[in-house]
Amino acid sequence: MKPALSVIFFTVFSGAGLGLLIWTLIASTMPQHIRMDAVTFYKAIGIALVLTTAGLLSSTLHLANRKNAVYALTRWKTSWLSREGVFALLLYPLIAAHLFVIHSSYASLAPFTMLKVIACALAILFCTGMIYGCLPTVPRWNTWMTPAKYVVFGLMSGAVLFTSALSLRPVEVGPIRTPMMALVFLVLGVVLYFAYLLRYPRAHTIENALGVTQGRVRMLDVGHSHGTFLTHEFGFQLARDKAHILRWLSILWAFVIPFVLLAWSPWYWVASVLCIAGLLVERWLFFAEAQHVVRLYHGQRVV
Amino acid sequence: MGGAPDYDAHGKAPSGVWYNRIRHFEIEGDPAFSPHRCGSTENHPHPAFGRPPLEGEVAAASALVFGDATHVPLSKTVNVPMSCMHCEEAHCVTVCPTGASYKRAEDGIVLVDPNRCMGCNYCAWACPYGARELDENAGVMKKCTLCVDRIYDTQLPEEERQPACVLACPTHARHFGDYDDPHSKVSQLAAQRGRQSMLDELGYKPTNAYLSPRAPAQVMPSLPVRSGLSDKAKAFVNRLIQL
Repeated sequence: MKPALSVIFFTVFSGAGLGLLIWTLIASTMPQHIRMDAVTFYKAIGIALVLTTAGLLSSTLHLANRKNAVYALTRWKTSWLSREGVFALLLYPLIAAHLFVIHSSYASLAPFTMLKVIACALAILFCTGMIYGCLPTVPRWNTWMTPAKYVVFGLMSGAVLFTSALSLRPVEVGPIRTPMMALVFLVLGVVLYFAYLLRYPRAHTIENALGVTQGRVRMLDVGHSHGTFLTHEFGFQLARDKAHILRWLSILWAFVIPFVLLAWSPWYWVASVLCIAGLLVERWLFFAEAQHVVRLYHGQRVV
Repeated sequence: MGGAPDYDAHGKAPSGVWYNRIRHFEIEGDPAFSPHRCGSTENHPHPAFGRPPLEGEVAAASALVFGDATHVPLSKTVNVPMSCMHCEEAHCVTVCPTGASYKRAEDGIVLVDPNRCMGCNYCAWACPYGARELDENAGVMKKCTLCVDRIYDTQLPEEERQPACVLACPTHARHFGDYDDPHSKVSQLAAQRGRQSMLDELGYKPTNAYLSPRAPAQVMPSLPVRSGLSDKAKAFVNRLIQL
């Protein structure tokens, strides 16, 4: 699949923003464990909203006909893309309601509105994963691990970012203790990533593509001499040694180095930037390495 | 962007892409019968022996099965026109977030409403057959319509109410009709020749289908040696010429 930069940017940044939003809200309910003043709370919410909104806006950049994008909210009964759009638009009024409630005389409603925001943020992450996970035409993606990856990576980068946001606290609050939740999610993330890499759900052959049950099929001619929309969209070929380098780069940046930095150093912002950079590389590989079954009709033997 | 642009495929002077490409495949038959395929016997073990056949060894079970019934003992070229399959389980329709892709209840034709399409490419991702292509000029998805404007046009003579590809095919390889009617031409052809569909395991249940290829004529792998008087004379003359 062609790795479209707008979609890569969207999934990584809105994922990190939603993760940060979730952890900030959870942390605000446990002041005895995580001391966070109101200014820091709003800074964290602000960073989360900027990241999420930038991501969601960039996702519209790859649309060829943006004026019809409003219809994308209508088919939530069948389409995960539509569901994602609905939840994304629902998030903003829910956050506004929560922020209103915590400063009003209805403060007893705060746990209720907070749970709604968290559920909506998790739903967006899950729907984003299901957009890719529900396609039987891309066997690499068609597994439960695709939505799981989107949810866990969002929570993971959000947890790393939340540690950085906490470092914005006034000095007199004291230093940050070891961010256990970020470390746990970094380990969970790398385990899930390896599981995803090791398990390929199923394969289709060029014989399946023609319906031949025995014998071998090979392509003689693809039927066009020029590139087409299909070769442009699905014909992306990644060099194996390049993929190898990028894979280890993404594992180091997204998981290993942030873990080391968070566990043994106060360089929280470096860890956050590296984690997001690593996830950008990982997301680029997610698209570049996935192969669509239409490649069988362009001569590839197995997808 | 790569790809041939769709200029104006439906205007007064149509030009551009027609979303109906013809791909060509070879079904490799029994390597023992395909001596012209260099190295083929080494790469592909013979199904009857489990190893490449030795020189002079002839397999008894040399047939390949295509679909259910047709035996193809020799290599065969198949030309596969790929248009929209108008699947029963059209995933391109269910993934569409805007409702621009739809499947008509009355005849099952899958169409795109350009006034709703936002050009997100998601339906092209969901199609295993490559039937959908983005028109970069209009910013909307385009696909085979089964010539829905022709097949219901009562102004046309009845024999012309067929998709243009069916009418245009010089060898009459394409047929159009109703599979639900057991007496229609396509149902009878499918019953005689066998109906073949692609990537069944994905569960899309494509409606368009391919007739199984006919068994090719049996060709002797080598010419019989003739040894009449005239053949001996010709052989003698050939040898003289080669001196």
